[in-house]
Amino acid sequence: MTDYKHIGKDFVPPDILGKVTGKAKYAEDFRVDGMVFARLYTSPIAHGKVTHIDTSALDTMEGVIGVLTADDVPAVEAPNAAILTNSPAYIGDPILAVAAVDELTAEEAMTRIKVTIEALPFAVDPLDSLIEGGPDAREEGNIFVRSREGSGFRTVKWSQQQVDEFRAGKEPTGEFTDEWSYGDVEGGFANAEVIFEAPFVTTGYAHMSMEARTAMAYWQNGTCYVYGSAQSQSFWMPGLARLLGVEMSKVVLISENTGGGFGSKIGAYPIAALPGYFSKKLGRPVQLRITREQEYYIGSARVGFQGWIKMGFARNGRMTAADVFIIEDIGPNATGGDGSSAGGAVSLVYDPAAMRFRGLPVLTNTTPRGAQRGPGQNQIAAVMAPLMDRAARELHMDPLEIRKINAVNSDTTVYAEQLPVTSAYMTEALEKGADMFDWDTKYNQPRRNGNKVIGVGIGQGYHSAGTKGFDGLIRITPDGKIHLHSGIGNLGTYSYASTTRAAAEVLKCEWEDCVIHHGNTEANLPWSSYQAGSVSTFTHTRANYVAAMDAVDKMKAITAETLGGVADDYDIDGERVFNISSPAQGMTYAAVAARAIQLGGAYSGASYPDDIHEITQRAVQNIAGTGLIGVAKDKLAQEGVIPGLAAAFVEIELDLETGKYDILDYVGIAECGTVMHPQGLAGQMKGGAVWGMGMAGLERHVYDPQNGLPANVGYHQCGIPTYLDVPAVIRTSAVDLPDPQNPFGARGIGEPAMGCSVAALTSAISDALGGHTFGRTPVSRDMIVNHIAGKPQSFKPQQTNNF
Amino acid sequence: MNPNLSRRHFIKAVIASSVAAASHAGIQSASAVERHRGAVERLISLNINGRTRRVDVLPQETLAHTLRYKLGMTGTKIGCNRGECGACTVLINDIAHYACSTLTHSVRARAVLTIEGLQSTDGTLHPVQQAFIDELGPQCGFCTPGQAMSAVALLKENPKPSREEARQALSGNICRCGAYDHYLNGVMRASGQS
Amino acid sequence: MPSYDVMPDVPLFQPAEIGDALNLVEQFGKGGWVLGGGQDTYGWLKDRAKQPTALIDLNGIEALHGIRQTDDGLEIGATTTLREIIANPLIKRDYELLASAASRVASPQIRNVGTLGGNVGQDARCWYYRRGLACYRAGGNLCYADSPQGMNREHALFDASRCVAVSPSDTATALVALQATMIARSVNGRREIAAEDFFVGPATHITNMTSLEPDEILTAVRIPSHWAGSRFYFEKVADRDVWDFALVSIAVVMTMDGDTITNSRFVCGGVACTPYRLHDVENAARGRTLSDESGDALAALASQGAKPLNYNHFKIPLMENLVRRAMRG
Repeated sequence: MTDYKHIGKDFVPPDILGKVTGKAKYAEDFRVDGMVFARLYTSPIAHGKVTHIDTSALDTMEGVIGVLTADDVPAVEAPNAAILTNSPAYIGDPILAVAAVDELTAEEAMTRIKVTIEALPFAVDPLDSLIEGGPDAREEGNIFVRSREGSGFRTVKWSQQQVDEFRAGKEPTGEFTDEWSYGDVEGGFANAEVIFEAPFVTTGYAHMSMEARTAMAYWQNGTCYVYGSAQSQSFWMPGLARLLGVEMSKVVLISENTGGGFGSKIGAYPIAALPGYFSKKLGRPVQLRITREQEYYIGSARVGFQGWIKMGFARNGRMTAADVFIIEDIGPNATGGDGSSAGGAVSLVYDPAAMRFRGLPVLTNTTPRGAQRGPGQNQIAAVMAPLMDRAARELHMDPLEIRKINAVNSDTTVYAEQLPVTSAYMTEALEKGADMFDWDTKYNQPRRNGNKVIGVGIGQGYHSAGTKGFDGLIRITPDGKIHLHSGIGNLGTYSYASTTRAAAEVLKCEWEDCVIHHGNTEANLPWSSYQAGSVSTFTHTRANYVAAMDAVDKMKAITAETLGGVADDYDIDGERVFNISSPAQGMTYAAVAARAIQLGGAYSGASYPDDIHEITQRAVQNIAGTGLIGVAKDKLAQEGVIPGLAAAFVEIELDLETGKYDILDYVGIAECGTVMHPQGLAGQMKGGAVWGMGMAGLERHVYDPQNGLPANVGYHQCGIPTYLDVPAVIRTSAVDLPDPQNPFGARGIGEPAMGCSVAALTSAISDALGGHTFGRTPVSRDMIVNHIAGKPQSFKPQQTNNF
Repeated sequence: MNPNLSRRHFIKAVIASSVAAASHAGIQSASAVERHRGAVERLISLNINGRTRRVDVLPQETLAHTLRYKLGMTGTKIGCNRGECGACTVLINDIAHYACSTLTHSVRARAVLTIEGLQSTDGTLHPVQQAFIDELGPQCGFCTPGQAMSAVALLKENPKPSREEARQALSGNICRCGAYDHYLNGVMRASGQS
Repeated sequence: MPSYDVMPDVPLFQPAEIGDALNLVEQFGKGGWVLGGGQDTYGWLKDRAKQPTALIDLNGIEALHGIRQTDDGLEIGATTTLREIIANPLIKRDYELLASAASRVASPQIRNVGTLGGNVGQDARCWYYRRGLACYRAGGNLCYADSPQGMNREHALFDASRCVAVSPSDTATALVALQATMIARSVNGRREIAAEDFFVGPATHITNMTSLEPDEILTAVRIPSHWAGSRFYFEKVADRDVWDFALVSIAVVMTMDGDTITNSRFVCGGVACTPYRLHDVENAARGRTLSDESGDALAALASQGAKPLNYNHFKIPLMENLVRRAMRG
């Protein structure tokens, strides 16, 4: 393994000091002169039309500054989310905001507002909308298809018989809107030794970031300053500018710290632009802090699935064919795509010889959906794990063996297009995990002990883990400091910092001499990818690498120009550029930086490549002449799917009398190429494990279908796992084999870290119950108790958004 | 007492007739607004992080509100404002409290310790803070001040806790990032046990 | 629809003497809100779902706080915190059932400030009711939970009457099992109420879960020595092990003659609007020994008369199983 100076080593991310001292500023911690406080007024009904708003009572109310309604903000076309709307499509859809001298006054003011709303039909369970005669979540239809060929509303209805058959677990015969396949699916099933079909439900649930999405904004000389709760930094800018209706150069985003996102704050969301409009209207800075209840309404949620799968296996355990059908609950704003991603994950993780995916995205009047940690991949991971166990059982195989024989490797081709992968070592991950976990012993141990029973399970997680084409920007100043400009958001993975270490590695410099700039547009940040989708590690080690390589080339050229010879005569080390044949001859980085300023041109950033993004261009313009600038767009070779993979092993002890289980052991193995930041990786693997435990057993949406009311509007009802619901020790490790398409061999991991956990735990619960598969997440206490007692479950088959 | 809330009426109306044209007209409580106008702040002294702070406080004001909105001490976070997450945890006479669910008037003459009070005046971090850094405890960091305060409360009472005791003691603090294992490592390190 | 999380204006009274507190509750009547640890207060007020005219903070009254030995057992002041109850050596020694129940309440921070009076006096946790809907319990004329498609997984199996919410208190089951006496005071005098009569169902009082009158304050809880040091069993099954209320809980006291049960009380939480006595189980337990066989025999009696709703029939096997566990040797 390469001997790196920074890669693969722990470091202290600069923002952590603020986090442990309370000095770290989140959006709602900022106060500016003249700032007023806004509160949000939302729809009390699941679907309707606002016909009248009367705020006249506020005209004379002391302390009230103003009101913002949908008429003050741009209208958007259904089904997209608006900043404020007169056509609410779920309980909690924002209708107006009130600003006052303090939050209490704003809250009291809201009680004096009269809003008249005409009610429309609504649906909270996709099947209730899909059935003939069922209500449509939008007046325009009950389906919204997003595709490159054109997006639009549709109305799709299934007959009572088709819905009944689907509920009964039979192959759906109703209309669907999305389909892809590869290979000979019929032939695959014909050749299978074992074939089975299974219905499944994965219930949606809220992201529930600890920080509700506060935003504060004011205008200065035509520029809007937004203090937001943003998961990404530079990536937010185009969307935020679009929402605010101004040029990107007229927006400054400050998001130094973000209290969690998990997919719910990837790009600029509408409500983040509300203070900008309100501030413009009032001529004062406005902060909008929403309540926890409102974060539940508008903070987005995981897409729910109601599906059916058929799988065939050869005698040796190889999956010969898979047929997947998914109805996805895309909420009121048609945000999803999880279904097809789930299909893609099946093709990659289990590599069926042939496969078909069919999908149907159904609108509901529930909380808007958004990408949530492994959107699609993690739902299907939970579905698949107990079914793989079932296949193993029917084939008299060890559950580990059937996973190994189907494991993705570097030669596997994936998805509908049967694309190559950059590299993949799932077998190694499974073997490493099995070894750490002592699978053989645990699998073969006696299971029953009185009313307690042991269950063991294996899970596999996947998400594509990288992209390309973003920019890197570094700067060396005459004081010898190396400035690493990072446009990634800061939501707690520390990748905004860890990826800059790629530049430090190339520059062979001391970490103490590096300064990271991030979290504020005015810190001159490059165009960076979204801080989501497990992409930042792969993507921005590349971007930082190319920027640092540009700096090295420039430093060698400057030194040659100054000391004689050609650039190739020189190398770098010890923050010096030196002559290879005469090492004493050279220049320090500080001296080179000073010289770069004198020489100008590309050296000092006075000119820059044409292909860098306008955001990066502006950043370079601002810092031009202050040092040596390394800037480049990542154009390194990249081909195929970049897989982030993980495997997990779980042992539980399930109490047959209470339905409760204790997690006795958890081992999670990351397969994300080279380990960049061991502590950060452990944090992602352990955090992902906790998320998986929540999804497997606790977290779910509940709606009353009679009125569209959500039951979970707070932490308590949402069932976020606590310290006592997860093991006191979670064990993790990594395969640590480099990926050839990253300069340091790194790929991402955040999402597979969860997928492997929810899969392993559903597998272990099924194992503890003698192989019973609920075909549903979460597996709640009541389901386990009812199953053991031989009682029917409370919900209808395929029912969702219930308890 | 007027329990007739606007929201309650609104939802009731909608539910009572599946197609309803409902309105907020005339159903909000006028008395609530009048009460607001009548609210009086009182100047009181609080002992926060060993210093006496004079501050004007409404009768119903929570400690989290006073700290964040009146004293600018924003290290104490409001995650839920409902006692369901722990982000606002502070110590009062060395015992962990949810500041969002504590009336400021009830802590007069008691010692309040917040995250801002952990660091020594010379800048030395509290062992819990240092250990949280060493173990990379925080992820997003929003729950961290509360986690730290619960850990400090535990170590004041039990300087050498077992991992299980630490787990129990910190269990009133949610971490949505799921960094529980790292925080427990931090507590064990801060107590000199790792 | 507004959403609130800032405390609304409300006058705060912090009396130092019980007499002053009694005068205040008399003066404010139904509008007065007695404040213990406040953990079932601030949410209601922030939501504007309850709008009291005055908060009367009892924490400054020394006489209401602390644990004292009496001639016949213990007296626990109403503002004694759950933390103090859990740590108290006398309770640990003689009435460990109560400490076990208290230790399963909510979260450490809530136990640090939550009082015994507040825990037994807390209101129903039905999510519809907590949303501020005008249900029966809130003075309206319907029950959302007990509707054709109502979401009622956490609701009652027994004794529902219009309202189907359950008693959420963990300590209440233990106090009913221990035959505690609740001491209530008003300006007109003092009333002793058996714990079993203190908790009332919707058939008795639709908007109040206890028999306290608006002008009364719960000042103390007395635990008789009758069950001191006897055999105890407490278990709470909840979704999460922090914060969550019991899906079903059980508190059991038994006196034994050797291996034989001479007397017992079985009380379940989370299945009815009050702590629910399993009288048939108690009768059948007399003379039995602790064993799996006894457990099986008694379990079947536990759920007789249960009337499950749409989503809560799992509570039937669950409460039967908790009886089995209590009977295990």
